[in-house]
Amino acid sequence: MNEIGGAPLFFLEFGDIVIYFTPFTLTLFLLALVFSVFVLVSRPERQIDIAFGGDAYYAKEISLSELRFRRFMSIACGLACMGAMVTGDVFDFTLFVSLVGICNVGIVAAVRSRHVQNAAYQYGLVALAGTVPMFAAAAMVAATTGTLSMLELAKGTATVPVAARALLVLGVMGEGMAPFYAAKAEMFRAPGAPYVIMCSLSSLLIFLRVAEVILLI
Amino acid sequence: MWNEYSIGLAAAFACALVAFLALVWERDDLHKLLLVDLVETAALAVIALIGTDLSEALILPGLVVGIAELLALSQIYLVKEGYQQHRVKGLNIEVIMRSPATVIIATILAVYGIILSGFTGGAIAGLGIVFLLMSRSFSGDFHVLEMASGISWALWVAAFFVFMFAPEWWYLALMGAAIGILMKVITKMSLVGAMWGDQE
Repeated sequence: MNEIGGAPLFFLEFGDIVIYFTPFTLTLFLLALVFSVFVLVSRPERQIDIAFGGDAYYAKEISLSELRFRRFMSIACGLACMGAMVTGDVFDFTLFVSLVGICNVGIVAAVRSRHVQNAAYQYGLVALAGTVPMFAAAAMVAATTGTLSMLELAKGTATVPVAARALLVLGVMGEGMAPFYAAKAEMFRAPGAPYVIMCSLSSLLIFLRVAEVILLI
Repeated sequence: MWNEYSIGLAAAFACALVAFLALVWERDDLHKLLLVDLVETAALAVIALIGTDLSEALILPGLVVGIAELLALSQIYLVKEGYQQHRVKGLNIEVIMRSPATVIIATILAVYGIILSGFTGGAIAGLGIVFLLMSRSFSGDFHVLEMASGISWALWVAAFFVFMFAPEWWYLALMGAAIGILMKVITKMSLVGAMWGDQE
């Protein structure tokens, strides 16, 4: 068996859907877990704007309801990330990635600011379009090899077409990672520091995991 | 090389490509959202091409995720454009308000739904009641309807327990389940119709 992420340490079987931990995925899982806990206990940053040419400054307040919503979304994002890190099923992986995408959009869309919401909307469109190649890739894997289990695919008895791999990467890029929206610098200037971190972290984790999946199958 | 699956795949991707091209040219935000929804359908087509029971099991979660994203995005769109929800008080068309036609149509739908029975029948009968409530701007107490919905659901579940524990009573259970789901869908759909006219 192709062991790109190290020898599996532990299998958790739900019928034919197997969750498994290798040293690689376990590390990513723990990272997502630790950051979820950070988000759970941390308090939001209070952004300070300084007026030039004087001593004046003003702090932006974040309302309790907004804080709650964004914290909830961040934790949901962390949970979805953890799922995406350890799942052993290609379709489950794509579902978790789209959950991460929804949560990321939710985290930023909670900011009550016109341009942030514009950016969130555009990112959401990209994410929604990203589901097309992603689900198509999962479906093509199932149609050409007859299985969705990464453990089965790792045995190398059936080859996944290059097109399916390319589509999977493309879809995950649009959905779970945030390249298009890191460019929207305005979004990261939006108040609410610890929660926006979750977007970046989830992108990083999803990127590492999808690379492993592509090499594995 | 070009078997049925490949041809189907090519057709689905061609559809997706056309929709993506439209997305590139479109400038209106709302239209973009609708086009993206259209593209989603192509993804479902690709999943359906697997052509086994598995595809059915994969389409459902795919569809649910797509709809969840669509709902979230449309909500963001409403907020970012600053649209408020407007009060909807029935269909304000004078002819419909006065004429007996709505009652007749609603009755036909309800009777037809009861004959059909089951989930489909419930949906059709419920549609008739929705239509009636919408056209008459009915405002009343819905506790009875909610209670009926709950009780009929309990009936449905009980019928399934009969299936499992006392299979020899299957006919009774079948009738109970059919009536239960019929009542449930009727009442749920009438509640939808009622809530629609009752914003805030």
